[in-house]
Amino acid sequence: MSNVLESAGISRILFAAAFSALAISLAPVSRACAQDIAPLSNNKERQGIVQQAEQTPPGEDQGVYSDPLAPFNEAMLTFNLKLDDWILHPVASGYAFIAPDAVRKSVGRFFDNVDVIPRFANNLFQLRFAEAGGEVARFGINSTLGVAGLFDPAYHWFGLKEHPDDFGLTLRYYGAPTGPYVMLPFFGPSTIGDTLGLIVDGAMNPISYVTPWYVYLPVEGGWRVAEAINYRSLHLNQFEEADRYAVDLYGAIQDAYLQTRIHKTKELEQ
Amino acid sequence: MPFKNSASRAVARFQIAAVMTLILAAALAAPCAARHAIAADDPMSVVQSTVNDALAVLRNRQVPAAQRREQLKQIIAKSFDFTEMSRSALGYHWRQISPEQQQEFSQVFTTFIEDSYLAKINDYSDQQVQFVTSRNDGPQYAQVATNIIGSGKDPVAVNYRLLEKDGQWKIYDVTVDAISIIANYRNQFNRVMNNQGYPKLISDLKSKQQALAASLGDRR
Repeated sequence: MSNVLESAGISRILFAAAFSALAISLAPVSRACAQDIAPLSNNKERQGIVQQAEQTPPGEDQGVYSDPLAPFNEAMLTFNLKLDDWILHPVASGYAFIAPDAVRKSVGRFFDNVDVIPRFANNLFQLRFAEAGGEVARFGINSTLGVAGLFDPAYHWFGLKEHPDDFGLTLRYYGAPTGPYVMLPFFGPSTIGDTLGLIVDGAMNPISYVTPWYVYLPVEGGWRVAEAINYRSLHLNQFEEADRYAVDLYGAIQDAYLQTRIHKTKELEQ
Repeated sequence: MPFKNSASRAVARFQIAAVMTLILAAALAAPCAARHAIAADDPMSVVQSTVNDALAVLRNRQVPAAQRREQLKQIIAKSFDFTEMSRSALGYHWRQISPEQQQEFSQVFTTFIEDSYLAKINDYSDQQVQFVTSRNDGPQYAQVATNIIGSGKDPVAVNYRLLEKDGQWKIYDVTVDAISIIANYRNQFNRVMNNQGYPKLISDLKSKQQALAASLGDRR
């Protein structure tokens, strides 16, 4: 039994390693592809052909996406909103009523501190050594001086900022096509590439390799649910506000997600 | 873990800080208006005077609320290019609707943007605005970067995109944490136009605007 589990663990590591190797080796190819589908106004080779690109205001090429999975995504958005409406929001409201704001913010920092490995690894994958090292230092300082990550002395005393990163961004950084937009049940907006990233980042959790699955899975599930409740308790009006200003909520979430991911990739490239 | 990711955080930030809110958010920057004499009509001074004028109106609590709202609308009308915003928000659909529809859409969208902005004003009264940089984005385009700083919150980066027409710089888009508001509406409108068509879009936009106006205690 334990042999089987161990080999499952090893195969996950291999999967993650193979996947990153694949992504990195595909980089030149996919860079070329990305160039091919770049907005016309950004593509120097085509600017001569498309006169109108000259008159496009900066930023105007954003905002219209091909969306082949739209029917599925629409159903999943409805599902997520119902789930939120019936379970997550009521629970988070009750929790917010009991626990003070400062406590919930500390809990948020705690969850964030524990998730250091994907941040470290992906900064490393992108050869951002200073940022990767910074993540290690932050984890060391905040886990000790910061009382298991409840506080953030690494930033407040040492000026060390967090450098968020994930495998979806690593794929984008190396120019891999990100695939269509997809609304995941429970997890929210994503793309095919970012979903692969979630799986790879998830496989980096060392606990999954030292505990049997029937312990690990429920614990991990409960952990993520707790994290979600804590997050929602700090953003109780999030969807109400979004809906108030949106004419089409699906389109608003889709665009905000995709614009944010594109922006983060650009920041990494700078 | 529903919605626990950066995008929903971004949606939240973006919506909370929605569009025009941010101009006014500068409430505390108002006293600075006196010190910074507004010079020529460059992009930075257009943004600064819009923000500071709006804040001056906001802080003048002696004037009745309804009257202040009218004054605010006048200030926005002066420095925002609503025609350009409407055209841009509809994308290629703009060329496919009739001139009458273009006019109708501009009118409804303008009111919608104004009301979105007014609906959020009060939430930002305790925050400060930093005017960071101004840079050219091509011959007729410019971008002015500002930061909204609230107590105990991460600063929100708000950039104004301006367009020069007949020697006048006007705001045609606002980005909040790098999310373009107009591009966001363009994606929404594109979906409604493709799935249901113009009549549905205009009626949805009207009903959203009316809901916002109603929440402001002002039906029209």
